[in-house]
Amino acid sequence: MSSRTPNSDDIVRPMQRTQKWYYVVFGLASLLALVWFGLWSIQLSRGLAVTNLADWGSAGGVTWGLYIGAFIWWVGIAHGGIILSAAVRLFGMKRYLPVARLAELLTIGALSMAGFYIMIHLGRPDRMAWSVIQSYPVTVHQSPLVWDVTVITMYMVMTLTYLGLTVRYDINRLRDDLPGYLEPVYKLATLGYSEREDEVIERIVWWLALGVIVMAPLLLHGGVIPWLFALLPSMPGWQGAIQGPQFLTIALTSAIAGVIILALVLRRAYDWYHILTDDIIRGLTLWLGLFGLLFIWLQLQQVITGVYAAPLDERAIAHAKISAPPYQFAIGVVILAMAYIFAQAVKPSVFSVRRSLAASVLMLAGTLTEKVLFVFEGLEYPTFDMYYNTPGHYFPSPIEIGSLVGTLALCTLFFLVILKVIPVIELHAIEELRGEGHAPAEGDD
Amino acid sequence: MSREDDSCGHGSCGCGDDETADESFHPMGEEYEAEMREMLDDTEYDTELGMDMAEDSLRLIQGEISEAEFHEKYNEAVVEEFDVDDRPTVEAFEEMKAEEDENGGLFEKLTGDESIAEKLSNVDTEMNQSRRDTMKKMGAGAAALGLGGVASAQSSGDPKDDGYGAEPVGDTSEEGPQMGMVIDLERCDGCLECVTGCIEENQTSTGANWMYVLTYEDENSEQENFLVRPCQHCTNAPCEKVCPVRARHTRDKDGIVLTNYETCIGCRYCQVACPYGVNYFQWGEPDVPYEDLPGSENDFEELKQMPDDERNEHLTEDNDHIHDGRGQWSDMRPPQGVMGKCTYCPSRQDGHQGEEKVGTTACMEACDAAGMSAIHFGDMNDPESRPQQYLQQRAEQDFARDTELDNGEQWGETVTPWGKLSAWQLLEDLGTEPNVVYLGNQPGPDAEQIEGPVTYEQIGADDNRKEHLDQFTVGTGDD
Repeated sequence: MSSRTPNSDDIVRPMQRTQKWYYVVFGLASLLALVWFGLWSIQLSRGLAVTNLADWGSAGGVTWGLYIGAFIWWVGIAHGGIILSAAVRLFGMKRYLPVARLAELLTIGALSMAGFYIMIHLGRPDRMAWSVIQSYPVTVHQSPLVWDVTVITMYMVMTLTYLGLTVRYDINRLRDDLPGYLEPVYKLATLGYSEREDEVIERIVWWLALGVIVMAPLLLHGGVIPWLFALLPSMPGWQGAIQGPQFLTIALTSAIAGVIILALVLRRAYDWYHILTDDIIRGLTLWLGLFGLLFIWLQLQQVITGVYAAPLDERAIAHAKISAPPYQFAIGVVILAMAYIFAQAVKPSVFSVRRSLAASVLMLAGTLTEKVLFVFEGLEYPTFDMYYNTPGHYFPSPIEIGSLVGTLALCTLFFLVILKVIPVIELHAIEELRGEGHAPAEGDD
Repeated sequence: MSREDDSCGHGSCGCGDDETADESFHPMGEEYEAEMREMLDDTEYDTELGMDMAEDSLRLIQGEISEAEFHEKYNEAVVEEFDVDDRPTVEAFEEMKAEEDENGGLFEKLTGDESIAEKLSNVDTEMNQSRRDTMKKMGAGAAALGLGGVASAQSSGDPKDDGYGAEPVGDTSEEGPQMGMVIDLERCDGCLECVTGCIEENQTSTGANWMYVLTYEDENSEQENFLVRPCQHCTNAPCEKVCPVRARHTRDKDGIVLTNYETCIGCRYCQVACPYGVNYFQWGEPDVPYEDLPGSENDFEELKQMPDDERNEHLTEDNDHIHDGRGQWSDMRPPQGVMGKCTYCPSRQDGHQGEEKVGTTACMEACDAAGMSAIHFGDMNDPESRPQQYLQQRAEQDFARDTELDNGEQWGETVTPWGKLSAWQLLEDLGTEPNVVYLGNQPGPDAEQIEGPVTYEQIGADDNRKEHLDQFTVGTGDD
């Protein structure tokens, strides 16, 4: 399959021809996105009453549900994506260079969806910008939600900088093969470019990558996002030091699964079997297994400490968790995916890209379910549990579920558009595969 | 940094404020001091007095002199210069102290305690207090020095004093008023009059029972128990701490925790962070339209522009029920997409409902009218307030009733009426510093809510809002 030599024509192909499937997928994604916007407009006019959310306590329900769960899931994919890309650059894992930009783009797409989910979740999205900015100097000292908005913005900026810098090299060299009608865009992107900057940009990108890797556990999915929950002492399902590592492993699991799916879809669509090789998929599958294992390990820690001799409130949530079908589903599919990954590691003939694709889809379904459950079940078992309506029963309403379909469609649209604008595989990766690379760092993984 | 300084060996170390070279008392150095002096010269007042006071205010911050000494030292000069000095003098301090001593009496000797309010309101720890004192002194010192930045960063971060409080959380000092409640659960019979009173006062939507009464049974007692649950108006309110827009805040004036309906974005983080479950979101269109709320014709922006006196006069004339004294929309039910909860009736406290309603809440009024008087609302820091007086009365009653103690104990230093009084706060160990003190049974870990003697249906309310809300869900409606 990978006997052909990759060349730059390969990576500009998406911009030069548009196949039938493209129109079909584009049409379908647009339709789903439109349906979602229709549903959202109903929510905007009638209020969040259209969801299945309600007040916790005497009123009997949960006030955060799928919207927040899906928000964490998207942020997780985004943060994992940028960590993956940063690791490739920082540790010189040249083998994965062909998926580095895909991971960065996934970060931008997923982070946008996460930001969108904040808007969807709010009762008064129209006030969001002004209210937050007005009080920012004070609230940034105390509200985890403001920390959250801050780091999401920061990572959006870092990722865009990252991409904006690395794409200059490609555009400059491939300009003649890129669509003419986007000339103004390319002009802007390559403003003031000279070949002398390549080396400098490589260094800047290296430092950016270092920043991402260092901050990931401290501020990203290992820090601020879990702190939204872990810092609240009155919700035993959320509180505690394990949430940081737990969130981070889930983020990495989701992101690697996302990159595998993206890579497999694109290599089929654009005949990139010689670029996004089986070898890369095999390697990513192993990484998926490693982070999946960490995910399972930390879940085990929580369950064991929750059921053995925990204080009453913690025990209640731990018991509820393990007996909840969604939890059993989430852990079940992750274990299933892990079984395949372990088997193919021991016996290489078990490996197939279809199976890796299936394992990735299962992992993503598992992490999404776990995250949504984490949010609403945490609220169903508060420390102050004597209201008889407290364990209110929550199941996402059609509009809430619609938001998932809608954001997936929007993210797909984002990729369909970006495919037509910039090469989603770096020229560096092609050069590397041709053996003429001068990519940074020494050594291979 | 560019400044030449011979005594400084390191060219660019920026040690222009080096002590050896700089004689200035001011931490920011001689240059700054000179600037200040110029600024003072431009005013009509005595520059030297201003500089001296500034210097001594720094000593005050350092703790070298006391507040009283500071005030005493400049009393005459200040009166001469400004015709008035409102700052308390040493004599005033001593007078106050003497008054406190007198008030103590028998009760104090019995309890061996100097302050009733301190003992029972349990609002603050010593450490917190001294930190607050320091902060205050720093504020005073900074203001005297013209350090606008320091003062405002400390007070609000907003150039305009919006009455949000000096500190982000727990901004009511122990000397200032802190509204709260003493709720005697032994007097409660579960009639739900307080719930009705609250709903009528605030026109809350179906199921949003800001005042809520739980009837519960505990494993170890057959008895029917009640828990009356308004908002706890915590001094260290978690809802306020997490709010991303400062909509949820503690009012400076009296420590009431309110929601600014004009800025709340409806993220519901306050609801998630509150351990008591007192928040009720306005999920859809409120049952009572905005136009029907007294005061809806008043514009928030216009109110904000008015001077305090004029505003309050205007609000009182209008019988405005939705704006508080600051002109902020934070009373009665919230609009769609915004969080609501028990408010301690701020428009009553600010006199807009008439003088007779100041110091009352709708729930307390209803409870009194029902002849129960289980709810006692007032300033928890004032020994003369209704809740504090009630606590004292209850302790004395118990003392009188129970002169013969079990197992041969004697009233005295270790056995005090306070100790005998079963006063507690809800989920105290979460550190929220709630301002509601309960008397009576405390629910144990196995307490379970049961149907009360009067049901919510009977009073025309709904105690499962989720069921009510389900009819608005688009799609299946129910799970």
